[in-house]
Order: sequence, then C-alpha cells, then structure tokens
Amino acid sequence: MDKEKAEILEKTAKEYFHSAIDELNKERYNSAVVLFFKSLISLIDLYILQNKDITPSSHTERFRICQNSFQSVYNILDKNFPFYQDSYIQIMSKELAEVVKEDAQIMAEKTKIKLL
Amino acid sequence: MHKLWLKKPKLNYSENVIDIVQYGSSIIDGNFPNDIDLAVIFNKISLKDQLNESQDIKNQLTKISQLPIHIKSFDFYSLFDKSNFAREGIFFYGISILKKDYFSKILGFTPRLQIFYSLNKLKKKDKIRFNYMLNGKKGKYGILRKYGGRLVKPGMIEISPEYEKIFNDSIKEHISSFTIKKIFSLI
Repeated sequence: MDKEKAEILEKTAKEYFHSAIDELNKERYNSAVVLFFKSLISLIDLYILQNKDITPSSHTERFRICQNSFQSVYNILDKNFPFYQDSYIQIMSKELAEVVKEDAQIMAEKTKIKLL
Repeated sequence: MHKLWLKKPKLNYSENVIDIVQYGSSIIDGNFPNDIDLAVIFNKISLKDQLNESQDIKNQLTKISQLPIHIKSFDFYSLFDKSNFAREGIFFYGISILKKDYFSKILGFTPRLQIFYSLNKLKKKDKIRFNYMLNGKKGKYGILRKYGGRLVKPGMIEISPEYEKIFNDSIKEHISSFTIKKIFSLI
C-alpha cells in the first residue's frame, strides 16, 4: 500500500471531519453535510487503497470499484451522494448532517482511523 | 421501457413506506431520459431509517431498470416543504409504482393538462391539417384518440400529463402560440 497516499487521505478525512463538527456546532448544516461527505469520501478512498492498493480518480470510478467489490461501502456512498449533489439548492437539516456524520464514523471504523 | 410500474416489480419494503413514486423526465412520453427519478414516501420515521430503506428499494429496482435510478426519501413534512424543488414533479406528474396510478390520487385528485389554442390566424387548409392531426383522417387515429385526450370545446383540449411533450410538439408544428394549464380535477 502507498503509505504517502494513505497518510494524505487520513489527514484530509480528519480535517474535513473536524471542520464539519465546527459547522454543525454553528448550526450551518449545509456546510456540515458537505464537509462530512468529503470526510466520508476520503475514508472510502482510504478503504479502497487498503484493500485494493488503488485510489479512484473520479466519482464514477469510485462508484464502480465500490459496486463491484464492496457492496456495503457502495450503499453508504450511493445513499449520501445525492445530498452532496443537492447541497447547492437544498436546505440541509441537522438530522441529515448527523446521518452523514454517522456514516463517516462507520467508514472510520472500517479503515481503523480515529477521527477525533 | 422506463415506466417501472408497468414492469410490476415485486418489492420488499416495510410498512413505513406509504408509496414509491416515479417522476421526472422518464414519465413523459417522447422523452429520452438519462435516468429514473423515484421518491419514496415514508411515515414519520427517522431520516436514517428512511435513507437505509430507500437504498434497499433502489437496489431492488436497479435490477429491473435499464437506466440509473436516483432515489429521494420524503415524509409528508419534507414532501410539502417549500425547499423540495421536486414537489410539483412528484405531485403533478408522479405515478405510484405500487398502485400503478397517479400519486396525486392519494389526495383525491387527478392531474390533467388543458391546452388552449386558436386557429383564427390559420388558412383554411391549415385548419383542416390541424384537425386531421387531432382527430385523424381516413381511419387513421389522431393524437386525441391515440393518447386518450379529449376536445373539451373548440380551442381547448384536455390530456394526461405524460403526453405533454407529444401534444406540445405536434401542436407546435401548426401553431406558434398556445398555452398549457396544469389542473387537478376531483376524482
């Protein structure tokens, strides 16, 4: 496994997660959802790196790899992606931010990363 | 064929699901959609449970769909919320894939499109052509009979929402200016 890539993904996952918590505490839920999702993506990429020794270069490739090899991760990704896409035009709720946060935490467990 | 309700899908879902509604471009005849939009309407349960069940329904429907499926979860609060930009599409055009009928019937309404037009500025031969287009000629059906529309009175027809594009395109070949009004009629 490429250790440098793994370190970068871990660092970005933590940074986005911490920023998302800040936004959540400030009741800025659209920002929180986007940042939790970005953290989630970093963790998914780390999981793919840990298990397949590759990193996807696009959302399309990320979806394809997960769908073919990691169904439970695919479900997490596919379930949350529409909210990231709609974050420009939709008012996000605290409840939704908490759901995306929880999924990021599930991926942190899978990748054995401590986010906080 | 992108009309999922015609495929009579056998779905596993919980009693928390009130309905599963197809809406968007895949509903409209004559369109070439890139994907299928679905809304799952839930009783008041947690968002987390809504999303997990919607994902499960999506996985089931993906197996019978030729196009990618985009799924959104709603309860009646979020469905009616002004921030739900899909609201009109779901209520007016949406078709329940469970009941195989318009979703709006859940509220006791049937969606209809009324098209208002005038032939006053047309030459006589063009008026005749327009009439052929609507009503047919020499045993060939016109679009009214073909798509279940009806002439309410001269200058006004009423059709089902899913045929909007077909009627719009056909009428546009003859008349440049006409108006379309969306209405709900009581069942």
